[in-house]
Amino acid sequence: MNMLPLIVLTLCAATVAAALMLVHAAERLRLRRRAGRDAVLRTRYLQTVLHACVYGSGPMRFPLLGRPGTRTILAETLAGLGSVTCGLDAGPLRRAVAGCGLDRWLLRRARRCGGYRRARALALLARLPLDAAVAEEVGRYLRSRNRCVRFQALCVQLAADPSSALRRMGEYGHPFSAAEVAGVLALLRRGLLPIAYGPLLTSPKRNLRRVGLGIVRLFGIEEAEAQLLYLTGAEDAELGREALYALCSMRRSLGRREVAFRIARMTLPERRSLLRYLAHEGYASGALLRLFDAGERPYYEALVQSYKRSLA
Amino acid sequence: MHRILIVSDDTFLCDLIRLSLVDMRVEVHCAADAAGMRAQCRRVLFDLVIVLAAGLFLGGEEPLREVRPAGLRRPAVYVLAWQQTEQTVLSLLEAGVNQYMTFPVSLHRLRRKVADELNRTL
Repeated sequence: MNMLPLIVLTLCAATVAAALMLVHAAERLRLRRRAGRDAVLRTRYLQTVLHACVYGSGPMRFPLLGRPGTRTILAETLAGLGSVTCGLDAGPLRRAVAGCGLDRWLLRRARRCGGYRRARALALLARLPLDAAVAEEVGRYLRSRNRCVRFQALCVQLAADPSSALRRMGEYGHPFSAAEVAGVLALLRRGLLPIAYGPLLTSPKRNLRRVGLGIVRLFGIEEAEAQLLYLTGAEDAELGREALYALCSMRRSLGRREVAFRIARMTLPERRSLLRYLAHEGYASGALLRLFDAGERPYYEALVQSYKRSLA
Repeated sequence: MHRILIVSDDTFLCDLIRLSLVDMRVEVHCAADAAGMRAQCRRVLFDLVIVLAAGLFLGGEEPLREVRPAGLRRPAVYVLAWQQTEQTVLSLLEAGVNQYMTFPVSLHRLRRKVADELNRTL
């Protein structure tokens, strides 16, 4: 029997397998070197920007900028710095963004990509110091079908033009989710938005009222109790529930007519959820006597006695 | 020279705090988690430990029991995290944390506080 074809076939298969393994190894090596280079560049860029922000002006040089992936690293570094710090001199950050054309580059990227890549580009853009003109350029993404893209476009507008933040949030055509309210509050904590909660709570726009409630809850503003009680007794169930949670987060008295009204209209799962929150906030079971049925009180007492609160 | 330990699994945050303290003539070490923090604290007596997450203290453990030798007030422990509920802050202070700051943090304020803390040890 002639074995030659089999030997040739085996040799070919072995050669192809060896070549594939070599390519795979080369790719892994390239990725490892790239990850190492990215880590070094990230630290170097951060050091450069931080030095300019903390110690005053100076030339900012970003080595290897223009090579593949380096602009993303610089954008992520500046965005990261912007999101976890406050009170830094924005001048050097603006110079870096303008000098490297990061805003134009991210806008181009948002235009060319779709879906979550576009949302990612917009999220980076929202955390950079921007000119007001950028706010208009991302306006078209507010009509996107992707919720994430829509909201990040709004964040870019809020960050670029804080003076029109209330109008833009009011005109936003979709109701904010809890995560989106938290996103707006993150901008507020960076000092980009005003903390005037009064007009927000009385606004006819639902999104603005939700942001107002978020501000009251975030900063524990006890002066807003009367407005919170008004919202708790309002017809809008979701808003009323949030106002009630805001009241509870400030440990205010539950012996009000509006509170009883809201709790009476809650479904059983909602009431259970509220009981868990009340236990977390440390309300005594005596404070709930008039608000909950006798059947629900053992659940609350079990929660209090479970010492789950003590874990935190 | 004073010694500072930064504890965070986020390399960016770790670098940020390390680089912001770089001109203060301090020796800065980094640890990625609670185990790393305990291991480094067994070897070196730090003046200050900066933990960049509150989660380390919220699992029912008492990490500072091993970090701070009995009878000593060193190392001072600062926690920087996002949570700002009263309950979290009280829990951290009860766990032995000396200072709690929330993100977004002012680097100037942090540097001033660290400088004050280190001067107090002289």
